[in-house]
Amino acid sequence: MSRAGAAPSQTAERAAIVGSGLTALAAFATLRHGGLAHEEIVVFGTDADPTEQWSRQAAAIRQRQMRSESDGHLAPADFPGLALRAAWRRRSLRPLLETASRGYHPRVDDFLAHAAEVRARSGFDTSFRRRRIARIEAVDGGFVLDGDGPFAHVFLATGHPGRALPDELAGDPRVVHAYEPHDYASHVAIVGAGMAAAAEWQNALAAGSSVVSVRRREPVRQALNVPRPLFSRRGLAAYHRSPREQHAATLRRLSAPSFPPDERFDALIASAAAEGRFHVAAQLNGAEQVIAATGFRRGYRHDALLAGLVDRHELDVHDRWLVLAPDSTVPGLTDERRTLSVGGVAGQWAFPAADTIAGAKYAARRFLERVCRTR
Amino acid sequence: MSYTLKGRIESRLVSALPALIVAFAIHRWWAVYLVAIMLAVGAALDATVYDRLISYQPAWLAVPLGALELALLYGIMRAIPIHAPLDAALALFALAWLSAQLFAHAALPRLQLTYAEAGGELGRSGVLAAVLVPVLVFIGVGGAYATRAPMIHLHGVVRGPIVVDRAETLVGGTVRGGIVIRSSHVTLRHVTTVGGVNGIDVENATHVMLDHVRVLRAETDGIHVRNSGVMVEHCMVADPAGPWVQGIDISYSIGRPTSMVSGCTVAGVREGIVTHSAEVNVMDNHVLDTTLRGIVLGEMSMDMASGNDVESAQGVGILCLDHSMCQIDHNVVAGTKVDPSGDPARAGVAIEAQYYAQAAVGHNTVIASPGGTKQYSSSTITR
Repeated sequence: MSRAGAAPSQTAERAAIVGSGLTALAAFATLRHGGLAHEEIVVFGTDADPTEQWSRQAAAIRQRQMRSESDGHLAPADFPGLALRAAWRRRSLRPLLETASRGYHPRVDDFLAHAAEVRARSGFDTSFRRRRIARIEAVDGGFVLDGDGPFAHVFLATGHPGRALPDELAGDPRVVHAYEPHDYASHVAIVGAGMAAAAEWQNALAAGSSVVSVRRREPVRQALNVPRPLFSRRGLAAYHRSPREQHAATLRRLSAPSFPPDERFDALIASAAAEGRFHVAAQLNGAEQVIAATGFRRGYRHDALLAGLVDRHELDVHDRWLVLAPDSTVPGLTDERRTLSVGGVAGQWAFPAADTIAGAKYAARRFLERVCRTR
Repeated sequence: MSYTLKGRIESRLVSALPALIVAFAIHRWWAVYLVAIMLAVGAALDATVYDRLISYQPAWLAVPLGALELALLYGIMRAIPIHAPLDAALALFALAWLSAQLFAHAALPRLQLTYAEAGGELGRSGVLAAVLVPVLVFIGVGGAYATRAPMIHLHGVVRGPIVVDRAETLVGGTVRGGIVIRSSHVTLRHVTTVGGVNGIDVENATHVMLDHVRVLRAETDGIHVRNSGVMVEHCMVADPAGPWVQGIDISYSIGRPTSMVSGCTVAGVREGIVTHSAEVNVMDNHVLDTTLRGIVLGEMSMDMASGNDVESAQGVGILCLDHSMCQIDHNVVAGTKVDPSGDPARAGVAIEAQYYAQAAVGHNTVIASPGGTKQYSSSTITR
């Protein structure tokens, strides 16, 4: 394992964030909340607007409401949540009553407006540098990012490593990925059974199409991506203690497609099925359009930056997951003087719902603790 | 939120601080006892019920859980007993409940970013709270215990009158010549008085508790209260020394804490329970064979008479008198007798409002009282 190398001249920045999406914004806002100045943080990424990629995907599946709840926002502290902000803005108690009964899900435009506010308030743009980082090198006391650095603390927020498309669909001209802009033909096959698929069933039915849902297993109906106790130490303590194979088995089980229970949605699907406009099939038929609601590729191997890091430093991995400490740091490259943290989907080993906003903040808050500890 | 057990208890301890501070600030030991019981009940429920049954606690669940804890708290208060004014005790509980909500949903998530992820655990602050709050409660309860009024057990018959001029508790015994109370925070429990101008005389005192007292052969009033706040529970006043003796008279006490007369039996006196310029709750008493009136709520009083049985009163059963405002409900008035004076206002009237009094009456049972319910001299009765 290589931990030391030639250290280039020290930079003024103490912390670097690799990636410029929602997870990066959450991490940046958290660091700023913790007292770090703009000059102490640098954000490397390809998109100046941290909501750009996510909002493009949300627009593609016509998503209007978040799956997350009031605390699903990017500000560092959970309070005030989006429900209280909405109540204040609309001069209505309704969002508060809804959040008390777990019925509040922020509107996408509210979420994006709040993200823009966090971006502006935190000064994200000041620290942003448009640059794709291709290589991370651990050196004595920090990390060199494509020759820049060293940075004592680095937070990786590289996001999903590309869209997943089953091999049998590759090259099929009828196929469009759900997260690409598209319209709906009169006969549509939708592959997948998660949130995006459920949204696409509704969209296609609303557009007057008949829909075949192609899926190998029935979706799990649950409010959030993972059971609620796994968002806190109540569920995480046992998860973190579990042996590796059990740990991985939990992650595999949790990766099953799911979407929240919703009576109106169920009634819509039942009514379409009664009209003969909605069917379930195990395989593709001759539909004129195939929408692949198959999510994203899974595993660190699909991310060139992470794969290179693992190979160069012989990092601990298990199956498709990078093995992390419970605080989302990479054990082999984190010590008293330096931190390498992983946020977003690649951080699932530490936090099963890592690809949610809660997951982004979980990793970011622990990163902040380490940064502050070594100030 | 998904609490861990440790998180539940630490959050509970920290959010009890406002109620604890108020309990110390108001200098009432019952308040400290109450906060101690709240914490004990809450921690016991956390450990035995909540942690096992509630893996995720939505915000709305705080309402039924709060109601459950309030019911348990009330039951324990009654069982110990802790003599706390009900409205103030409810206000303290409401403060504690509201603090818990504000701490859990606003203050703690704001102050500690990882609060929700940590299942409510507070790290070093939690350890500090786990030490500080129980120590404060222990100091408070210990202080209350150490400075509690001395308890004096009376044995056999004691020659009186006894004058009580400091906070203390007298238990048991029979006192000839009556007891005079001149200090606040005095309790008489299971004491019998025989004779005396007044059986028990309370003046210029508050937080006086007369519990299971028996008053016999008094010469003027059985229990005589002036400019004071008292709680009289389960007493008996009977066998008066003459025809002019009143049972319980609480007068000229506006501005003092509300008094209560509850569960008493008063028999054979001129007026059973009478108030003048006072705020008194007269509840669940048994008043019988009075020669002038059963219960009088009089002279600009603001009183309530509820759940009383008034039997065989001469002239009037329950009277709201002289600019008083009275709530009279759920009483049973039976066998009120017509006074031979011929005065229509004393013609066996079960419930009466007299001389600019305002009485709100409801759900009373009137039996064999020929005068029924009446109003005289610009008074009003609303049903």
